[in-house]
Amino acid sequence: MLSWSGNEQGIEIDLLSVQAATGGAAVDFAHELVEFATAATGFDQTAMAKSRDALIACAGLAVTIDAAAVIANFEMMTRLADSTGARMQTEVVADRLAIATAMGVDQVVSRR
Amino acid sequence: MTISVNDIRTDLVLAHEQAWAALSQPGTWWSGAQRRELATTALMAVSEAEPLPPWVGVSSVDGKISQSLVAPRTAHDTVYRIARHAATLTSDWYKRVIQEIDQLAFVELCGIVCTVATVVAFRNAVDLEVPELAPAKIGEPSRKKPQNVVSATLNWVPVIAPADKDAAVVQAFTAVPETNRLIWAMADAQYIPDKEMVDPNWTRGTLSRVQMELIATRVSQQRECFY
Repeated sequence: MLSWSGNEQGIEIDLLSVQAATGGAAVDFAHELVEFATAATGFDQTAMAKSRDALIACAGLAVTIDAAAVIANFEMMTRLADSTGARMQTEVVADRLAIATAMGVDQVVSRR
Repeated sequence: MTISVNDIRTDLVLAHEQAWAALSQPGTWWSGAQRRELATTALMAVSEAEPLPPWVGVSSVDGKISQSLVAPRTAHDTVYRIARHAATLTSDWYKRVIQEIDQLAFVELCGIVCTVATVVAFRNAVDLEVPELAPAKIGEPSRKKPQNVVSATLNWVPVIAPADKDAAVVQAFTAVPETNRLIWAMADAQYIPDKEMVDPNWTRGTLSRVQMELIATRVSQQRECFY
């Protein structure tokens, strides 16, 4: 979806940078958004507060709250997908394998 | 800067409140007391800095959960595993679980975990306290099974017919309609309303679609979710 939405809007996407948590999309606040998402999936409260404050400072409160909502959504959807054995059609997997490899998720257990 | 509940969109607050309240109410296959108890285990699972490893059932560890449970131990073990180690789940694991838990009860159980995980994640991200679970509401589960429940190819759980016409995540909870409704009400408020999914330019005026997908990709990668 990241690649698709980027392509649709003519925005360059660098999946290796997303994986490395250094940004990865030529959009505003990319680095801060990735830092915020990374901190939210961990347990370091200092990193969480620092990344939240940084995002609020550059993007504002409303963007930060909506970013938190998207994070929350994918904490839900990843569990929904993995617990119900969700899989993509074979042809879709083939199409997306290069992306999965770039993101380092081509060998994870949840590939099914 | 401190974020307060008053700063949050009303539709998002309402979707979370509705799903959170339902955790203590009778569901389709679990009673209110069972749902609340399972939600408590899910809360523990997502909150522990040092979780149990995937192969250890939470019910087998002294002091982790109550000794006088209203939901089966297997259900608690399943909830903990999904809440904390979802990417490790396999079809063999699922087959073992449904020897002890009805398939549709399993779907509802997944919905309980998803609700806890999403509300806790949001609250932690904006530095708000996670709300207390309401006292369990007395009452039996409805046990209303839709007539057209069928096996699917794209999920290991059964779904409403016709199977595999929609994406696997979209059809995953359809066999338990109330769970499906609550989860997708949250998804609409947290991410993108269903009818807007095909529009790459859709925005609430805050995040662009690419920014949303950047966050989604990072979270999914961190959770090792291949889907």
